[in-house]
Amino acid sequence: MEQAIETKQLVMTYGQGRTKVEALKGVDLAVNKGELLAIMGPSGSGKTTLLMILGLVTVPTKGELILDGDNIYQGDKRDFQRLRREKIGFIFQFSNLIPFLTAEENITLPMDLIGTSSGKAHKRAAELLDYLEVRDRAGQLPEKLSGGEKQRVAIARALANSPAMILADEPTASLDTDRGLSVMRMLRKVSSEQGTAILVVTHDERMIGEVDRVLQLVDGLVTSDESQSKAKSEAPKADPKPAEQPATDS
Amino acid sequence: MNLALKDAQYHFFKFISSTIGVSLLLMVVFVLGGIIRGVILDSSTVVLATNADLWVVQKDWLGPFVEASRLPKDYYHAIESMHGVAEASPLVMAWAHIDHPPASSGLMMFMYRNAKIGTATMVEPHWIDMVGELRFLLIGYEADHVGGPPMIVAGRGIEASHYELVADEKTGLKLGEVIRMRGFDYTVVGLTKNMVGFNADPVIYARLADAQNILFQPDPDLLRNIRRRTGGQLGGARAVAPRVKEPAMPKASALSENLHMINAIAVKVEPGVSMEEVATEIRHWKHLEVYTSARQVNMQLMGANRLIVMQLSLFRLLLLIIAGVIIGLITYTFTLDKIKDIAVLKLLGTQTSRIYSMIIQQAVLMGLLGTIMGAMMEFASEPYFPRRVSATVGDMGQMIVLITIISILASLVAVRRAMQVDARLVLGT
Repeated sequence: MEQAIETKQLVMTYGQGRTKVEALKGVDLAVNKGELLAIMGPSGSGKTTLLMILGLVTVPTKGELILDGDNIYQGDKRDFQRLRREKIGFIFQFSNLIPFLTAEENITLPMDLIGTSSGKAHKRAAELLDYLEVRDRAGQLPEKLSGGEKQRVAIARALANSPAMILADEPTASLDTDRGLSVMRMLRKVSSEQGTAILVVTHDERMIGEVDRVLQLVDGLVTSDESQSKAKSEAPKADPKPAEQPATDS
Repeated sequence: MNLALKDAQYHFFKFISSTIGVSLLLMVVFVLGGIIRGVILDSSTVVLATNADLWVVQKDWLGPFVEASRLPKDYYHAIESMHGVAEASPLVMAWAHIDHPPASSGLMMFMYRNAKIGTATMVEPHWIDMVGELRFLLIGYEADHVGGPPMIVAGRGIEASHYELVADEKTGLKLGEVIRMRGFDYTVVGLTKNMVGFNADPVIYARLADAQNILFQPDPDLLRNIRRRTGGQLGGARAVAPRVKEPAMPKASALSENLHMINAIAVKVEPGVSMEEVATEIRHWKHLEVYTSARQVNMQLMGANRLIVMQLSLFRLLLLIIAGVIIGLITYTFTLDKIKDIAVLKLLGTQTSRIYSMIIQQAVLMGLLGTIMGAMMEFASEPYFPRRVSATVGDMGQMIVLITIISILASLVAVRRAMQVDARLVLGT
């Protein structure tokens, strides 16, 4: 199966001398298109650092990153902004929809950023709103949406430009179990039907039943990378803290 | 998709209330500009309304509105006959007063009371008491010559040879009102508009002879005194030349009572003739001083009103800078409120230029809306100011350009803050 993303020996070091911290110590990872992967691990394990590197907002100290067949750090310097616009979708814990844009406008925004015509963008937004079952909320501002609806709109926004990969940062942490499961099922549906690789950083063990693989990260190292059935039976207790501090603290 | 407009629309009350604040400040900037233009117009109105090319006054004297030049009236005949002169009009002008309270509306009384309270610690008792006399600039002109009122807004122009006046409506005089000056009654037969001297005192027009009488005729007591003094001085002549005194007495008295003086001659030059050539001729042959209308206005504007124009201009500049700082601060706080949204936009790959443009566009939009609203408020409030305030659409156009530049500069601090926003802010939280 075609790979959406691959990392080779990713190393990330912060600080120097006595303050030196190795957040990632050589992470190898490969995610296929259409695969739903959960990245789990305790606080300080390097999840956020990995997310930032995969999201092209941080450059690793060492290692390779191959996104949709393109080895990012080799050859000419890439325009990370453009790559994020075209190749990566983001979903956040609190949806982080732009508050002054309606649900539909939040979805058309990424398409607007890559120059899609208004007509095409509206058509695609309508399709996504239908697909994610929030069509009737199209004209509403985020403040008028429930938590689950916000996350569905955020998923639609992440899908807008048909990215190679979606990075989801604790997408269910602010939702109750039912809504959380509903969001995870939606991600499951998206990855299998749209063929998008989805990497979910989560602490929430209740959700791992919906993923294809679970990658355990401890102290900057991948300690296990297993299929869903095995992960469910052997997964260690996740850190109860809802969120991890930014990478600089990792 | 215009993010700036969407955001302004979303934060409508906040945006519009901030814009109203800016517009009030910019209204004051417009008002100051209008006051400056008013001072300029006041300094030029009478000169321009006279429609003369040249102003002839006594040698070494400045223009007739600035210094009390005096010439024999008949000089204008000689000038009129010179080559290149189309018309020469003898004029009399000076500030005068009548015992008549100046026009005062309720608003004017409010402004007076405000001024009285505002200056309470600056003045001695009675300095700021309301005066009972109406001050005005009296201009006397010959019938069918330049120098009369340029327009009549009520009543008619002066038709009779004597005892008729046309007054500017700011005098508060009514049509048909009779006022007494130097022992004679004068009837207001017409009203004109916006005709004021350089100090904003309104103008009253009269026939030349009437104006000469009002301005130059000594009062009867003084006249008797002059005659007695003249007689006393000629008294010594009786012993040496007894036959000289009797004929000399009336001549001497007539000299002291001579009303056939004028302050200036307004000259219109024939088409195609150089004004400078005519002026040179008059200076050379008549030993008089000649000024162009532009120089005449310059004397009044940069003589009497120079400091007030400079002071107001400086104040206007300060207010404009303050407006810029306020727009900058508002834009900065708007940006602080959007830090997380900016981080999301950056993470989604939004071009940085588009994010910065959103901030700049909002600042410019606020500046432009503030300018238009400020201009509208200024235009609406102009008639209520005690002195002429005259802002124009051109001023608004000029301000639009200026405020666009100021808004862009003012938003740079906010843009700098936005540049510092890290896309990583929204990951891992």
